[in-house]
Amino acid sequence: MTQPIIEVERLVAMANQIGDFFAPYPPVQREEGVRNHLRNYWDPRMREALLAHLEATNGAGLLPHVLGAAGMLREATRERTAYAGPPKSDTPGMSPRGE
Amino acid sequence: MPIPRKPDQSVVTTCAYCGVGCGFKAEMFDGRVVRMIPWKEGKANHGHSCVKGRFAFDYYRHPDRVTAPMVRASIDQPWREVTWDEAFTHAASELKRIQAQYGRGSVGAVSSSRCTNEEIFLMQKFARVALRNNNIDNCSRICHSPTQFGLSATLGAGAASQHFDSILQADVILVVGANPTEGHPVFGSMMKRRIRQGAKLIVLDPRRTETVESPHCRADVHLALKPGTNVAVLNSVAHVVVREKLYDEAFIRSRCHWKEFEQWMAFVGDHRYSPEVVGPEAGLAPEDIRCAARLYASGPRSTIYYGLGVTEHSQGSTGVMCLGNLALACGMIGREGVGVNPLRGQGNVQGGSCLGSWPHMFSGYRFVTDDSVRASFEQDWGLALDPEPGLRITNMFDAALAGTFKAIYIQGEDPVQSDPNQNHIMAAMRNMECVIVQDLFLTETAKFAHIFLPGSSSLEKNGTFTNAERRVSMVRKLTAPLAGLEDWEITVGMINAMGYPLRYDDASQVLDEVARLSPAYQGMSFALIDRVGSVQWPCGPDAPEGTEVLHIKAFPRGKANFMLTGYVPTQERTDDRYPLLLTTGRILSQYNVGTQTRRTGNVAWYDEDVLEIHALDALARGIGEGDWASIASRYGSTRLRAKLSERVSPGVIYTTFHFAQSKVNAITSDLSDWATNCPEYKVTAVEVTKLQTSVRSEAGNPVAEEEQA
Amino acid sequence: MWSELRALREDVDYGTPPRDGEPVTLMVDGEPVTVAAGSSVMFAAAAAGRSVPKLCATDMLEAFGSCRVCLVEIEGRKGFPAACTTPVEAGMAVCTVSPRLSELRAGVMELYLSDFPSEDIAGGWSELHDVIAATGVASSPYGPGENHLADPIDQSNPYFLFDPAKCIVCSRCVRACEEVQGTFALTIAGRGFDSKVVASQGESFLDSECVSCGACVQACPTQSLVEKSLFEGGYRRADSPQA
Repeated sequence: MTQPIIEVERLVAMANQIGDFFAPYPPVQREEGVRNHLRNYWDPRMREALLAHLEATNGAGLLPHVLGAAGMLREATRERTAYAGPPKSDTPGMSPRGE
Repeated sequence: MPIPRKPDQSVVTTCAYCGVGCGFKAEMFDGRVVRMIPWKEGKANHGHSCVKGRFAFDYYRHPDRVTAPMVRASIDQPWREVTWDEAFTHAASELKRIQAQYGRGSVGAVSSSRCTNEEIFLMQKFARVALRNNNIDNCSRICHSPTQFGLSATLGAGAASQHFDSILQADVILVVGANPTEGHPVFGSMMKRRIRQGAKLIVLDPRRTETVESPHCRADVHLALKPGTNVAVLNSVAHVVVREKLYDEAFIRSRCHWKEFEQWMAFVGDHRYSPEVVGPEAGLAPEDIRCAARLYASGPRSTIYYGLGVTEHSQGSTGVMCLGNLALACGMIGREGVGVNPLRGQGNVQGGSCLGSWPHMFSGYRFVTDDSVRASFEQDWGLALDPEPGLRITNMFDAALAGTFKAIYIQGEDPVQSDPNQNHIMAAMRNMECVIVQDLFLTETAKFAHIFLPGSSSLEKNGTFTNAERRVSMVRKLTAPLAGLEDWEITVGMINAMGYPLRYDDASQVLDEVARLSPAYQGMSFALIDRVGSVQWPCGPDAPEGTEVLHIKAFPRGKANFMLTGYVPTQERTDDRYPLLLTTGRILSQYNVGTQTRRTGNVAWYDEDVLEIHALDALARGIGEGDWASIASRYGSTRLRAKLSERVSPGVIYTTFHFAQSKVNAITSDLSDWATNCPEYKVTAVEVTKLQTSVRSEAGNPVAEEEQA
Repeated sequence: MWSELRALREDVDYGTPPRDGEPVTLMVDGEPVTVAAGSSVMFAAAAAGRSVPKLCATDMLEAFGSCRVCLVEIEGRKGFPAACTTPVEAGMAVCTVSPRLSELRAGVMELYLSDFPSEDIAGGWSELHDVIAATGVASSPYGPGENHLADPIDQSNPYFLFDPAKCIVCSRCVRACEEVQGTFALTIAGRGFDSKVVASQGESFLDSECVSCGACVQACPTQSLVEKSLFEGGYRRADSPQA
């Protein structure tokens, strides 16, 4: 396993902090929000180190929805345009974007 | 004879100190700058100035100026002067060696908010075309990066919505975490004029600053909240707005998503954020919170000005979103006299944000991961660019400590003095193999450098600055650069040395390139700015001479968004061992880390950082006025002289960071904003103890020493 | 306050702040000029290119009316009103130059120069010197008497000094500190001949509440408040011993 670019403890703390922000959102948006943030703002090596941690320890120390988001990250394909707004979702009750 | 000598030349330029960006006329005789007088046609300052821009410019001639490039094999060795070519060649070979050995992403660069737009643009170009990565950051990371994030998330644009003059039409002014009378003095004066005319003032600040109370100008509501409780208090204000139905329904329905508003309304309307609950937590009377909310919502024109007291927190971005939400809820966007306005600290930190000096964005606030945006840069620059976000400066230091980041090119910044948790930063710097520092003087950071490139002051180059109002103004060369090259020429030299051929006849061509590649700057050019004096972006076919007020008809994403801003208390908690909260800030006569102002007459007012402590806290510790005190946190300790002050409440202490010997950042934590890693300078749990001392003068600077026990 | 700040020009000092308001047309020296309602006659004259000499007026500050130099004649009105404190009215006819006005202005200048260092009259380039040139008064006919020529110079501020010998107590500095900066550090202490500019409670500039913004230095028409950097070798009065 390659050396993590930054200490894993710090990455877990940072990821959880992001998770704390999205906590008030409905569940799907919570995970999406964290995933979008990691995707757009984290150096890929930081994401890799987090995913490596996920593999090695089942994501020890990560909040549940952050765990979920990291999982989504692993599966995500590269998005065409990066997005900085609130979590996008077609959850019923939420109005679609770009109205 | 007391007839003063009359200057023989007068050139209009822009002050390099704070984010007001005053227009000045530099007056010279014999090619030497003898005075700076405010320019009446300066649209930011209208003929006014402050002590720094007006008088403290002599640092450019200070004997400490470094006049030739220098290198050394290790930081323990003395410096050796070399030619510019030798310096560039050596730097390039080191950077390439390190990339070959440790990976492309093991090197990075940091641009300066005290340099021009053109210079910042070239620094990010350096990272992208020469280092071939996105490890480029700017000091706005450590001050207003949450503004960028938070305002983009809510309003769609991460910059001030108004111009300064807009305050002349405001009825209610809400100042949050800022002290304009000291940090943005000329703007502070304008604000006071408006208040003397009858506008109301609400201030959220743990301290009773001059902004709160000064002659003929007093805040109607002062919320002296406990440091770290911004989001709770702002949510509580919003709570009152929604519960008492003070929001502007018509505005929200037409300009926002109503369903999103309802979701937000339910969220802040929760009992958890009622003034009766939040008040005691934040050290405030619930009625004051209600008063502030009602005053702000009633307007009719209410404007928000905020500063680092909002952003430099672990919930910095969240705090900014709270302000965006509040303004949207009350319909205070999109006309004169309203808006949400960050008071950007440094002269060109707005430029730093605009010009893409970010690991995740190109110029014009567009993501590096966006294929079409990246393609436009690839086409213009002629090579493939890294498609992934790079490291922020905070993460660069983390990675340096972990051994994966080995070289850095720092332009005009002093992270060892200005970044938090100094011991951490110094250890990181020591781990690096090649530190290149470009600056005017040997700074604290230069102590860890292997290559020193002597830079040019703003009096020695041509370029533009972007102030806190998005206003782009000219910086004009008054005298030749002391070390021979303007800062932008140095970066061009570095880019060429790394193997990417690049040439500009003059700085105007760099701005032309910016205009080509960034929609907001599309119409900008030296010629335009020369003609009209200054131009606020966005500037393009729809706004050929710039835009004063944003969001008048539409938001950049069409509609604006309400974000859910849950209060997450900072991990930095007081306890028995560290019962006081330290918050930091700046004062009028000294600027930032003092590199410039410490070398001017301004030391007459302030020649050391002092610790402001409330009399009760001081009494409990046996500390008297002027006594030396030790301040310790979980991260480190330092010593400062104490000053008893009524401006802080019991439990809160305050100091500034202008002098290197104070080592204030040895105490600040490494906690930071969740979204941007903007450091939490404003909240550190500390304990203060009296030092049993004998004070001995050391090279003119009194130093406290502990007596032998 | 909109126009008061945004309509300022570097190349012309209108004397009193520009205003917003309905256009008003009046005659200045026989030529029509149109300005916003609320503007002063001094402003209108400057806008018409017929500037009136002035000392205590500057367009960054509200009118004060203390120097008595900007007197004009207005048709149908008695006496010689100060242009700075007289608001324009539609159809007004103002005359800015006449033998009587020249006499009056010269008289005022002779009084000012009776308490001003005579060796600093020739060669100077302050606003006072512009008015000296405009009124053609180069000296004072009065004999020696009580004066302020030996009042102590305040050099406490690292960047600028205050020499009361050159002060004409026009109050521009006091007003700049109030209106422009908002610090209220300066005031005029005493009355009549004893009037003088003081900082805070009679302290030195450095010890006072002054924040060294330089607005007073910028406003001073006589260079009584002046940047130290303009004096090579330091500031000395002509009659004082070498430093």
